[in-house]
Amino acid sequence: MGDKTDVWQGTLALMILKTLETLGPLHGYGIARRIEQISGDQLSVNYGTIYPALLKLEQEGCVESEWGVSDNNRKAKYYKLTRAGRKQLEREAREWQQAQAILAKFLSATEPST
Amino acid sequence: MSSLGQTLHARLLRIVGLFRRQQRERELAEELESHLQLHIEDNLRAGMTLEAARRDALLRLGGVEQTKEICRDQRGIPFLEALFRDVRYTLRVFHKTPGFTAVVALTLALGIGANSAIFSLVNGILLVSLPYAKPEQLVSITGTYPKGGIVAMREQMRTMDIAAYYEGREFNLTGAGEPVRLTGTLVSAELFSVLGARPELGRTFYPGEDLAGQDSYIILSHALWQQRFGGDRAILGRTIGIEGAGRQVVGVMPEDFRFPSPKTQVWIPLHNDSRNAVLYWADDFMPVVGRLRPGFTIEQARTEIRLFQSRVASLFPWPMPVAWNADVSVVPLQSGMVADVRLRLLMLLGAVALVVLIACANFANLMLARSAIREKEIAIRTALGAGRSRIVGQLLTESVMLGCLGGALGLALAFKGLSILKAMLPADTPRLADSHMDWRVLAFTGVLAIFTGLISGLAPALQSSRTASAETLRSGGRSGSLPVSQRLRSGLVVAEVAFAVLLVIAAGLLIRSFWALSHVDRGFRSEHVLTARITPNQSFCNDPARCVTFYRTLLDQVRALPGVSAAAVVNTLPLDGRVAKRSLDVEDFLVPAGGNAPLFWLNAVSSDYFRVMNIPALAGRVFTDADVSGAPVAVITSETARRYWPNQNAVGKHIRLLNDKDWRTIVGVIPDVRAYDLRRNIPKWIDGVAYVPYNSAATLEDKRVPAEMTIALRTASDDAQIAATLRTVVASVNPEAPVSEVQPMDLVVLEAVAAPRATAVLFMVFAGLALALGVIGIYGVLSFLVSNRTREIGIRMALGAQRRSVLWSVMKEGGALSLIGIALGMAGAFALMRLLSTELYAVHSTDPATYAAVAIIIAAAASLACYIPAHRATRVDPMIALRYE
Repeated sequence: MGDKTDVWQGTLALMILKTLETLGPLHGYGIARRIEQISGDQLSVNYGTIYPALLKLEQEGCVESEWGVSDNNRKAKYYKLTRAGRKQLEREAREWQQAQAILAKFLSATEPST
Repeated sequence: MSSLGQTLHARLLRIVGLFRRQQRERELAEELESHLQLHIEDNLRAGMTLEAARRDALLRLGGVEQTKEICRDQRGIPFLEALFRDVRYTLRVFHKTPGFTAVVALTLALGIGANSAIFSLVNGILLVSLPYAKPEQLVSITGTYPKGGIVAMREQMRTMDIAAYYEGREFNLTGAGEPVRLTGTLVSAELFSVLGARPELGRTFYPGEDLAGQDSYIILSHALWQQRFGGDRAILGRTIGIEGAGRQVVGVMPEDFRFPSPKTQVWIPLHNDSRNAVLYWADDFMPVVGRLRPGFTIEQARTEIRLFQSRVASLFPWPMPVAWNADVSVVPLQSGMVADVRLRLLMLLGAVALVVLIACANFANLMLARSAIREKEIAIRTALGAGRSRIVGQLLTESVMLGCLGGALGLALAFKGLSILKAMLPADTPRLADSHMDWRVLAFTGVLAIFTGLISGLAPALQSSRTASAETLRSGGRSGSLPVSQRLRSGLVVAEVAFAVLLVIAAGLLIRSFWALSHVDRGFRSEHVLTARITPNQSFCNDPARCVTFYRTLLDQVRALPGVSAAAVVNTLPLDGRVAKRSLDVEDFLVPAGGNAPLFWLNAVSSDYFRVMNIPALAGRVFTDADVSGAPVAVITSETARRYWPNQNAVGKHIRLLNDKDWRTIVGVIPDVRAYDLRRNIPKWIDGVAYVPYNSAATLEDKRVPAEMTIALRTASDDAQIAATLRTVVASVNPEAPVSEVQPMDLVVLEAVAAPRATAVLFMVFAGLALALGVIGIYGVLSFLVSNRTREIGIRMALGAQRRSVLWSVMKEGGALSLIGIALGMAGAFALMRLLSTELYAVHSTDPATYAAVAIIIAAAASLACYIPAHRATRVDPMIALRYE
């Protein structure tokens, strides 16, 4: 994954949290599909990367997991947002929006004349 | 992004993640399996074939194993987990290659063990602080002073408290069973308070208790108290007989108080008597210790002592030479005490450091050889996704674990080695008793073991991780030596040989020096001579005639014993560490104005002494029985004769003991006797050596006839039996005279070379080790070379190469490495052996014969090491070799 790891993992974590907030408890495959759909297939990554990210979120106490049964009767591990995860999502979303706003302003500013 | 709490929580879980591995692995596998199933079902619904659906799901996941691996890294602590895995893997490797593991571990154990043993000596003697209160304040004044000088120093010094001691004095303890000879130390009353030492029992001396008339006290060592007085606490306040006079026991020092050395059994106050100018200003020149007073530095103390030195000479009742103590200084007590052995210890440390370097080079070479064999294994692991750092990590784990294994074994060797070392080193080595295995030695060994593993493993690890995997796999893993690796291995062998050359040369020089020292012409013969110290009380000899009669009676009785062919007494036996000084007048010699009368070593001997010791007369004659009561006579040594009467016959000339009335006629000249030091006849500060018959006129500097004599017997039978009889005879003549130091003269001589012998033997052991390791190194490299070139050799032989030329081509490679190593080692020795020069006698540090001999020995050993693999190369069957790969 190289140098982009940190940025990617941070964004991925935020996307996972948002997905869980929107759709409720969901398994890893579902989360991966959802992220792919929302990003309009622009973000084409290995589904596999979702699992270490989920593991990290679980270690940080943002999500919980338990085994359940899917719509089509498949055994699957379901992830659920915790209270800490909800707070984390709010905070990160806010930070992200701020950063985005600043960057947008910065990039749209006209070049000063020399 | 995550808060501190979350981070901690995650850390904790990751540590927990190290455990319950299997359950987590299973869950992860199930989760990924369910992921794939969900994906496949979706794909099928989208109309894919089962085959395509499965393939797509796997591809999109990015590989099951890869995903698992990333999750594992996230779950636990990758570094630790990797380490655990490497350690487990290494243990398997050890188990599979027990021979290799054992050889390496043993080699390293020898190197590390030698280092740990020597380091525990260095630690105990040079590093551990003295076992006294605030040892950093304790200093030693270089130079010695008489009692008067010390009292003046104590009164005048502002920067430090002062105390003096005189070690190695002997005292009779009588009145409590069989009389015994004790070794004691005369001390200033302040010595214990300066050192900050507390007694185990009773008290130490009060100030003023070292003044004449107020000094009849004594302090016992713990050992003496236990052995002689059964550890009885009632000993305090009791009066015991020391040299025929009563001394009250005021204290017992604890077992670990060993100042100035473990030999001391009693501490007795100095007898400061300013009315006796000779005793006060001339008799005993003593070393001085001090404790810096709070707020003063050692530099200030140095300045003050120099100032004191410029004044002190004027206090003497006679002129003192200008050069006396001119370079006086103040040094930390610890370095002052061990100054004599520091160099020798550091030399030994240097030697064992070389040994461990050779062991490292050997180890690195073996690892290189093995990593060449394991190229295929490593290539496979690389192909399976192991990064370079993981490969290096794995190989380093292996070498460090081998290092630690060697270290553990080495520690066991060092335990044994240290006790052997302690027994082998001269007993008077300062602080020898303080050397044991403590945490510092353990830490040193640990660090050395890990360091050894790291430096030995680094090159091989980096080397093999660089291997191009695809190429290796294709060639089946036997493509063999890369040129870089080969050059590295050759370099290591050259270094090994060079280090071995250094050590063998050092050992050679020391052995030659030791041999020269033990075969030096000592001027006397020690074979079949039994000696014993006989020491009546000083008070017994207040009447010189009684003393002289005692010895005459004793000699008469001893001479009659069966097995004794001759017997004599002497005040200072050669090489037993004792000398007696005497100023005298010499005929034809004018003392220069402001100078002192010549100072001689004076030997008072009974008439048979020269016969017992087999010392012939070079000119004139030696003493006869008639000389004891006849006209005053003397015998001098040949160097003395040359000094005062060059090109003349000294026989018939005269000398006179200072303040004596009568001149003594020199009746004979004898060969020079190495009386004190095997290296020289007399030191610079002694002007000559004279022998006088033992009678009432044979007085020493204190105007007393020597009371303590050594009896020397020429024996033909069993020494033990004669020794027992001797004790009975002495007891019958004087029941208060202890018999001590009963030993053959051979042993006395042997002890005089104890230190050089110990150094030579240790270097010999280390050099032997170095040589063996070096030879193994050459052998290893060449064997590897041959096995790698089997195919090439096979082709050459198939094409008609002679066995001899094959043999020669392999020998040439090994020979070249050895020769470079020998040349480098010689050059190094030429530069470094100068450090040994103070230890060498009669052999120069660049002695060509030794260098040549060592070159030949190493070359011969190296040729042997080359020959075996070279010979194997000639036995290569071309057909087998060609089918080989």
